[in-house]
Amino acid sequence: MKLLEIRNLHKKFDSTEVLKGVDLTVEKGDVVSILGPSGSGKTTLLRCINFLEKADEGDLVFGEKTYHLPKTSRDDISSIRKRTGFVFQNYNLFANKTVLHNVTLGLTSARHIHAKAAEEKALEVLRKVGMADFAGQYPSQLSGGQQQRVAIARALATDPDIIFFDEPTSALDPELTAEVLEVMRELAHEGMTMIVVTHEISFAKEVSSKVVFMAEGKVVEEGHGADFFENPKEDRTKEFLRLTKN
Amino acid sequence: MINEKTMELLISSFPKILEFGLKVTLPLAVIAFILSTVLAVLVATVQFAEVPVLKQICRFYIWVIRGTPLLVQLMVAFYGLPLIGIHANPFVMAVIVFTINEGAYSAETMRAAMEAVPAGQLEAGYCVGMNFMQIMWHIILPQSFRTAFPSLFNALISMVKDTSLASSITVVEMFTRTKQIAGQSYNYLPLYIEVAIVYLLFCTVLTFVQKRGEKILGSYGVRK
Repeated sequence: MKLLEIRNLHKKFDSTEVLKGVDLTVEKGDVVSILGPSGSGKTTLLRCINFLEKADEGDLVFGEKTYHLPKTSRDDISSIRKRTGFVFQNYNLFANKTVLHNVTLGLTSARHIHAKAAEEKALEVLRKVGMADFAGQYPSQLSGGQQQRVAIARALATDPDIIFFDEPTSALDPELTAEVLEVMRELAHEGMTMIVVTHEISFAKEVSSKVVFMAEGKVVEEGHGADFFENPKEDRTKEFLRLTKN
Repeated sequence: MINEKTMELLISSFPKILEFGLKVTLPLAVIAFILSTVLAVLVATVQFAEVPVLKQICRFYIWVIRGTPLLVQLMVAFYGLPLIGIHANPFVMAVIVFTINEGAYSAETMRAAMEAVPAGQLEAGYCVGMNFMQIMWHIILPQSFRTAFPSLFNALISMVKDTSLASSITVVEMFTRTKQIAGQSYNYLPLYIEVAIVYLLFCTVLTFVQKRGEKILGSYGVRK
């Protein structure tokens, strides 16, 4: 079942064209990894899908509706965001809120869920990412890996249809990267639909149902899981995979 | 230098000076400070949210108020407000002028503090489904208050002393009262030193309140 589709997405920053007509289809339960060199537009693509950047051209099909990206109304944006989760490279936890309240805020404030029910839900997702024992702590008291796991819990708490991960481990050392990837692996196995912009080739190989390779603002090639890595078709993809193999 | 007569004058005048400090100077400063902080939050939020037109109006307000002397603003209000049908007593008028004056400065303090909150937290707020005002209320304002607090308190301490300017629009506050007593006794210097000490006392108490306030606002787990 198709959950999300992007058609002909264009985005310019001043005169620099970052996305030059990107198409992407995500089925329910897909784990889509987006690979590509720096500056290829991976992050911008994710940010446009969630309206953190305003696309210049393109359509988004989400669920049963089609939205013209540059002209999506504020209400539509808000309702789309309420059905999606976003995990940032720099975690972006709310510095003035405890771990627990970082997770409950999207429930109590944005969805008017009763505080008690929100806390139960928050503890449930915090348990899932192994952070329930830190519920009373502030983000500044946690390691990067712990902060990112809280950020994942925050995204999970609202029962999203899909979670976007924007280079979730790029700010972490290998050990902390492993603990975050472990959580993501578990989500993938549970059938959570995810789009992951990542540099972790081995993670992408292991978990993805679909791999998308981007370069210079375009999708160069896409393939299914391991097949993509074993039989790359385009020269640009082969080059990238050769360079990232170490 | 201090003879018995001066000593007696200092002792007998102390409660009178203090009375006007507690009844006029402090209330004027504290009420105007609270109102100016509310005004500052509104003006800063309009700019932070980039509200068209309103933002330009806010910049204009800040430009005019910061570019003219407080004393002149008091005078303009004193002679100008009655012309447009506003007849307030001098104390209320002083509160209005101090509020508007301090609001312009504090608005800049608040705006800087809002902009100091990492933009990613605003984005994260949107991504969990919150709207701008919800993010302002739960995320941006609490953090920017913590950042702005010492500067805002600076403003309050300044204002306690600037209230003496209200004498120019016939408000009898602590300094004016001191001048009156000094005029009656022809013994100026000791009384001015005495009132200086009372101002110092007020500001010392406020500094203590600031310290407590910073503790209460907390630092979100950052070890100091």
